[in-house]
Amino acid sequence: MTAIVWQRRRAAARATWREFAARRGGLAGLIGLAVITLLALLAPLVTDVSGLDVTRATARPWQPPSAEYWLGTDHNGRSVLLLTWWGTRVSLVVGLAATVLSVLIGTVVGIAAAHFGGWASAVLMRFTDFFLVLPSMVLAIALSTVLPRGLGTIVLAIGVTAWPATARLVRAQTLAVEARPFIERAQALGGGHGHVIGRHVLPAVLPLVFVNTTLTVASAIVLESTLSFLGLGDPTRVSWGSLLHAANVHGAVSQRAWWFLVPPGLGVVCVVLAFTLCGRALETVLNPRLKGER
Amino acid sequence: MNLLELRDLSVHYRGARGEVTAVRSVSLGLEAGETLGLAGESGCGKSTVAMSVLRLLPRDARVEGQVLLDGEDVRGMSWGRLRAVRWAAASVVFQGAMHALNPVHRVGEQIAEPMRLHGVTGSASSSSVSSSVSALLDQVELPARTARAYPHELSGGQKQRVMIAMALACEPRLVIADEPTTALDVVVQAQVLDLLKRLVSERDIGLVMISHDLSVLASTCDRLAVMQHGQIVEEGPARQVIAAPTHPHTQTLAAAFPTVGDPASRHVTASDTSTGPVLLRAEGVRVDYGTTTAVAGVDLEVRAGEIVALVGQSGSGKTTLARTLLGLQRPTAGRVLFEGAELPRSASGLRAYRRQVQLVLQDPTSALNPRHSVYEAVAEGLRIHRIAGDEPTQVAEALSHAELRPPERFFPSLPHELSGGQRQRVVIAGALALGPRLLIADEPVASLDASVRGEILALLLRLRRELDLAALVITHDLGLAWTIADRVAVMYQGELVEQGTVEQVLLAPRHDYTRTLLAAVPQHQGSTRPDQLSVELRLPPHRLLG
Amino acid sequence: MIRHLAGKLGGALVSLLFVVALGFVLFRVIPGDPVVAMTRGRPVTGDQLAELRVRLGVDKPLPEQFVDYLTAVLRGDLGTSHVYNRPVAELIGERLWPTVLLVGTSTVLAVALGLWLGIRGAWRRGSRSDRISTGLALAQWAMPTFWLGMLLSLATGNLFPSGGMRYPDTPPDFLSQALDVAHHMVLPCLTLIAVVYAQYLLVMRSSLLEEMHADYLTTARAKGLRDDLVRRRHAVPNALLPTVTLVFLHLGLVVSGAITVETVFSWPGLGLLTYEALTGPDLPLLQGTFVLLSGAVISMNVFADLLYRVLDPRVRAS
Repeated sequence: MTAIVWQRRRAAARATWREFAARRGGLAGLIGLAVITLLALLAPLVTDVSGLDVTRATARPWQPPSAEYWLGTDHNGRSVLLLTWWGTRVSLVVGLAATVLSVLIGTVVGIAAAHFGGWASAVLMRFTDFFLVLPSMVLAIALSTVLPRGLGTIVLAIGVTAWPATARLVRAQTLAVEARPFIERAQALGGGHGHVIGRHVLPAVLPLVFVNTTLTVASAIVLESTLSFLGLGDPTRVSWGSLLHAANVHGAVSQRAWWFLVPPGLGVVCVVLAFTLCGRALETVLNPRLKGER
Repeated sequence: MNLLELRDLSVHYRGARGEVTAVRSVSLGLEAGETLGLAGESGCGKSTVAMSVLRLLPRDARVEGQVLLDGEDVRGMSWGRLRAVRWAAASVVFQGAMHALNPVHRVGEQIAEPMRLHGVTGSASSSSVSSSVSALLDQVELPARTARAYPHELSGGQKQRVMIAMALACEPRLVIADEPTTALDVVVQAQVLDLLKRLVSERDIGLVMISHDLSVLASTCDRLAVMQHGQIVEEGPARQVIAAPTHPHTQTLAAAFPTVGDPASRHVTASDTSTGPVLLRAEGVRVDYGTTTAVAGVDLEVRAGEIVALVGQSGSGKTTLARTLLGLQRPTAGRVLFEGAELPRSASGLRAYRRQVQLVLQDPTSALNPRHSVYEAVAEGLRIHRIAGDEPTQVAEALSHAELRPPERFFPSLPHELSGGQRQRVVIAGALALGPRLLIADEPVASLDASVRGEILALLLRLRRELDLAALVITHDLGLAWTIADRVAVMYQGELVEQGTVEQVLLAPRHDYTRTLLAAVPQHQGSTRPDQLSVELRLPPHRLLG
Repeated sequence: MIRHLAGKLGGALVSLLFVVALGFVLFRVIPGDPVVAMTRGRPVTGDQLAELRVRLGVDKPLPEQFVDYLTAVLRGDLGTSHVYNRPVAELIGERLWPTVLLVGTSTVLAVALGLWLGIRGAWRRGSRSDRISTGLALAQWAMPTFWLGMLLSLATGNLFPSGGMRYPDTPPDFLSQALDVAHHMVLPCLTLIAVVYAQYLLVMRSSLLEEMHADYLTTARAKGLRDDLVRRRHAVPNALLPTVTLVFLHLGLVVSGAITVETVFSWPGLGLLTYEALTGPDLPLLQGTFVLLSGAVISMNVFADLLYRVLDPRVRAS
């Protein structure tokens, strides 16, 4: 019997993929992501980490792009190309880790708040609403200021500020699914909480969570770059945000050092745009209500 | 000259898989003062015909043939001319007044809007507009203050009246009513139909009535056209088409709306009637939601192998009662007994109870998880209860009991690949897989097309005969009760006002409310129907119309 | 209605108290010893630490600290900044108006621009102009605010002042002062608009698209209304309603934008104050801006909720 189920799922996955691939924006985003991920993975293999070390930088600082340094050098004489390349890794890792954290919290809270009802769910929802309106950046700044600097802090700060949107979405979807008569049928057949959540709610909510994840990664990466720009990032690692922080602190604007400013920012834009495009295309494919509208 | 004439009208939709023809060479004519009924099941193209009259079809529709409004072809009109004709020459009462009214505008403004737009006489001053709106509301028997209300503040029947008033705003000569009474209760439906009839005769307008319900059309229309697959299969005087249908499709449609009291449509014989032991008994069951009482002390019995119909309007508490009997809702007072033992309260006890009593829901489309295949849907109960035995065999057996044969062919199908009737059979099979003694069916055929209703009802009767399966059928439709039930219980405002055998209750009703319900059923044979609703209803309007 | 109002205001009050409490947890409980956190990386003697502890009141047990803190906040006393050595409330008061001016101006402009483009895009969805405006919005949404600000500043060269709010040598008359502030505000304002309007555009567009299939629009067309009347009278008012809430819900985003924009352009508002506080780190000051900014966003959301009730008859009744 399971053979039929798997056959169905494969067919459904193929159909979803075909529809997704038919959307140029989404496909472009996916290709962009693949390229960026590949570059991030290749960095230690094709480049030399020691180029990031300030003490070993030999080149003249603030050099404009040249044949030797394609994207010029920074205030310490390090290659901007190398810095940006390595920055990809931290930005991606932080963005993904923070997203996993926030989506996990959001999904659990959202389903719990919708499924169980009663005062516990009311409290949970009030709690979510409170965090939803709280400006997430202000909270993230506060958290990363009082906690010791490091990647973990940044991930935590983003993770615990970004979940309420997911929770609300999941809650709304869970409520919508649970209002459908097939839930009542499952209960009438004798199914308990575990059965209803596992067999009916989760499969219906997960596609939405997946879409939400790709969109959350986008905002998590922006948030990471912002926090690092404000100097709250891990001082021992190079990320796009920390590069821009250095650029701002050392006066790249007044030096007209556009080559130090443009690449890291463009990195953020590309990754965020790629995730957003993927997410929007997925949303249209997986959310039948939106089909043919966007 | 005819008011409206369709000549060889065809409509095609361009879809993802090429063109789909929704309407095929339809020719119809309508004169002033005449009412034409257009009958057919969902998807037969009747609404497309209606929308093509004012060129309201979506952009991907391609229209062929002629649509003559007072002799002028709508298809050839310029945009300006078309806008001038819309609503002024012909207006529409849309299906589902709930959504057809703008939720954020007062209904008075919405009625007045076309008057101002088309410069109806006297619409220049706002005071005369508001007096015309009051006059229109008066025509549809609504108080003038309704104009200040927003749509959500009105009941379904009131909204439908507002739609009708709006349709009359520019005094058009043609009104097209698309399912004007669907989603309304029988009593309200009767009132709205009476209103439409009166307006047609008073104002000498032409009315096109579209409905899936032959009995509705029979009671209002002079002529009737029956559509199937985009074509007109039968046309003629209404009385004749219904009394002596010639086309098989018309015959099926007519049979789906049985006449109470007609022995030909009663499918239960005295020998079927069971005198088995009492299976399920409700004693003084009462359910309160906060301060409102949904079920106000109900005593009800279902015997083994018996079919009981629980009849009532929406809001009468019948669905709440069903949920309580299933143990999905805990009663505020009273108790439910199954085979003499009170319903268990523990989760495991309730689970065991569910093997005895199963539920069939109204709309099979939403009662099945769209992601689960037929096999998974039917096996769901088996898995929950961890029933021993070979699962595929059990599933196949349940499907064959529900007349889905050969069962293996249906295993991998998803609900959307099945027809409405097949889906309902899957729901029934899912219930049968647990081997229950009693089915509680909440409006089991209300959302199905007329032609499959009979099949599902026949299935319930056959299951009773073969498996000795008792059923409590909840319905608003007295005809359905007449067709299959042994006993009838009539529910009104949370109470059972009358119960007894079908013949007792439906042929010799003792309670006023039962008589009102019977009077409101559109009748089409002879003039057995009383002219007016003889009973003064003591219902608060929101209850009645909700 | 009055019961609802009372309920909403009560809920808002609880939220504000929650923010105040969160401020305590964040800045007094989590850091362990806030004094150590504040003096990190600087040479201090044990005596200095002890003195600072007494001054901040962190030598007492936590519950007592919390009560002290709460009563102080309720009196309007947000503590003393140890970098500026001045009351936090006073500093915030000075910096409030530049932020209100900047955020207010750019929000109004961004909302107007976003809604207009969103309506246009939805009505002609799939058209060239829709694709361009949506694509542009997405690209701008993907940009970190501060980066865009730095690029703008780099690109415009000396056309606009690179920072601050006014030149010290501007004549004191109102017109010259106003012009000078406006001149300084161009770049920060543009940056904030560019990043924020995209949200409004996307929300308005999808909200209107959702209304496009509504049956009452068919009714309106059947009545003989011109296409633009159908849109103006029926579709847009309905689509605008959910957008109102979202506009306010996204105010938090504007606030985060303001923090970085003010940092980039040294605009002397609350954002720059926050930045100064976090570089210290000046925990009392950061706590003050945290409580104020969060409280402001929460209050605006309550306001949005009430406004929505006034605007939407469906909600008004229930």
